[in-house]
Amino acid sequence: MKKRNALKQSFIKFSTIKKLHKWLSLLVFIQLFIWLSTGLFFNLMDHEKARGNQNKKAITFQKVEHDRLVNLELIMSKSSKPVTEIALIQRLGKPYYLLTHEEGLYSHFKSDYSLVDAYAGEKLIIDDGVASKLAQASYKGKGGVSGIVKVKPPITDMLKERNIAWQVNFSDALNTSVYIDASSGRLIGHSNDDKRFVDLFFMLHFMDYPFLGQGSVGGFNNGQIIFFALLTFVFCLTGFIWVIELLRKGRYKFS
Amino acid sequence: MSLHRKSRKYHKWLMLFVGLQLLTWSVTGTYMVLMDIDYIHGDTLVAKNKQRLTPEQVGYSFSELMNDHNKASNVKLGLLLNQTVYRFNDGDQKVLLSALDGQQLSPINEQLATSIAKDNYINTKTTVINVQLITVNPPRELSSRHLPAWRIDFDDFASPSFYISANSGQLVTKRHSYWRIFDWMFAFHVMDYIDEEADNKLLLVFTVLAFIASIFGLVLTYFRLMPQQKKRNSKVDNDLNKEVVDEKA
Repeated sequence: MKKRNALKQSFIKFSTIKKLHKWLSLLVFIQLFIWLSTGLFFNLMDHEKARGNQNKKAITFQKVEHDRLVNLELIMSKSSKPVTEIALIQRLGKPYYLLTHEEGLYSHFKSDYSLVDAYAGEKLIIDDGVASKLAQASYKGKGGVSGIVKVKPPITDMLKERNIAWQVNFSDALNTSVYIDASSGRLIGHSNDDKRFVDLFFMLHFMDYPFLGQGSVGGFNNGQIIFFALLTFVFCLTGFIWVIELLRKGRYKFS
Repeated sequence: MSLHRKSRKYHKWLMLFVGLQLLTWSVTGTYMVLMDIDYIHGDTLVAKNKQRLTPEQVGYSFSELMNDHNKASNVKLGLLLNQTVYRFNDGDQKVLLSALDGQQLSPINEQLATSIAKDNYINTKTTVINVQLITVNPPRELSSRHLPAWRIDFDDFASPSFYISANSGQLVTKRHSYWRIFDWMFAFHVMDYIDEEADNKLLLVFTVLAFIASIFGLVLTYFRLMPQQKKRNSKVDNDLNKEVVDEKA
C-alpha cells in the first residue's frame, strides 16, 4: 500500500496529463475522425476526377492576320478607364485586345477588363450569348446547354473566385458547369458532380462551413479550425507524453 | 479479455507506432491554420504600383511585332519600370521587347533584375543583400518552369526573396521564412517529403493505423468517462496497478 502512494505522488503531474487526455478525447473525437476519414479519402481519391475537367478541352487558336490589326490609339481611345496592360488574345477563334483596367495578383483576384475586336475595333461585351459560345468552345462532352446564369462571388463551385462570372450549365451525366469571367471572357474553369463531391470533403477537412463565421471561402484560416487544432494539439501531446511514460516505465512488453 | 482491456492494449501498442505521426499532424495542421494563407503566399510583400499606359509610349505596333515574330503567342503590352514593353511566348521561350523600337531586352541583367525586384517590393527603403542568377537546379521554393530567374534576397523580416524571370522581367515567385516553414509543414502533413503529393502509400498506412488506434481510443473514452462505468474502471485500474506493483516488487 505504501509503495502505491509513493508511486502516485511522484507522478502527480502525469496524472493531470492523463486526465487532460481523457477529457479532451471527448471534445475532439468527432472532428478527429472527420480529419482522419477525409484525409484517407484524399489519399485514395481519383485525383483526375477531382479536378472536374472530364469534359474540358483545349481551346484552339487561329493564325492572326497581323496586317488587319487595328492600331493602338484607336483602341485606347475607346476606353474611358485607365489602361495598365493590353494583351492580344483570342476569343472564339478571333483576335481581341484585352485591356486591363484593374488587376489582382492572381487571376482569381478582383480584376476589371474590357475587350476590343482586334480587326474591327469594336467593343465586345460578354453577354449570355457570348458566354455560352465560349463555354461550348471549352466543352467536349455530349450535353447541351441547359441554362446560363450570371453569378456573383461567393460562387459555390469556385470559392476562391472574386470576379463576377457566367455560369453555363450543361445537361450531361456529370452536371457540368462552366464558368466564364464576365469582364474578360476568360475561362475560369469547369466543375461537375465529381468535383462537388470532393469539395464536400475539403469543406469537412478545413471546417470551412457555409453557416459559420465568414461562410465558405475555400480556405482553412477560420476560427473554428484554429480552436479545434489547438485542442487536438494538446490532446496529441498529452497522448504522446503518455506513450513516453509507458516506455520509460517499461510497460511495453510482449506477453 | 474484456473489450475494455483489449482496447487499452491495442490503443497503447498502436500509438507506439503512430503516436508521433498524430502529434506531427496536429503540430503541422495547427501551424497551417494559424498562418494567414495570403501572408504565406507573400502577397503582402508586393507593392501595388500599376502605372497607366499611353499610346505615345508605343512606337512599335502589335502588327509589326506579329510580322517580325510570326510564332509569337500570348502577346502583352505592359510596363517594365517606366518603360513600355512587349512580353510574349516564342514557343517555350519567353521574350521581352522594347515597345519603343522593338529591340529585344531579354534576358535581363543583374542590375535591371534588382531594380524590378525593388520596384515590386512593398518597402522601398529595404536593401538587397544578395542577387543570384538561377538557370538550372532551382531551389525547392522555385518551380523549374520559371527558369532562368534572378533571385533577389532582401534584408528584411523573415528573409524575403523575390524571383524575377530573366526572360519576361516579371516577378514570378515570392518567398519568406514562414513560407519555407509552411512548405515543410505541408510535406510532413502529407508524409511526402519530396513531391508533397497526398496519394502516397506511407500516408495510407499511417492514416489507416491511426484510424484503428483512434477507434480503440474512443472505446476507452466511453469506458473511462461514462458514469455507470466508474465502478468497473476502478476495478480495472486496481488490477493494472496491482500488476505494476507486483512487477516492481
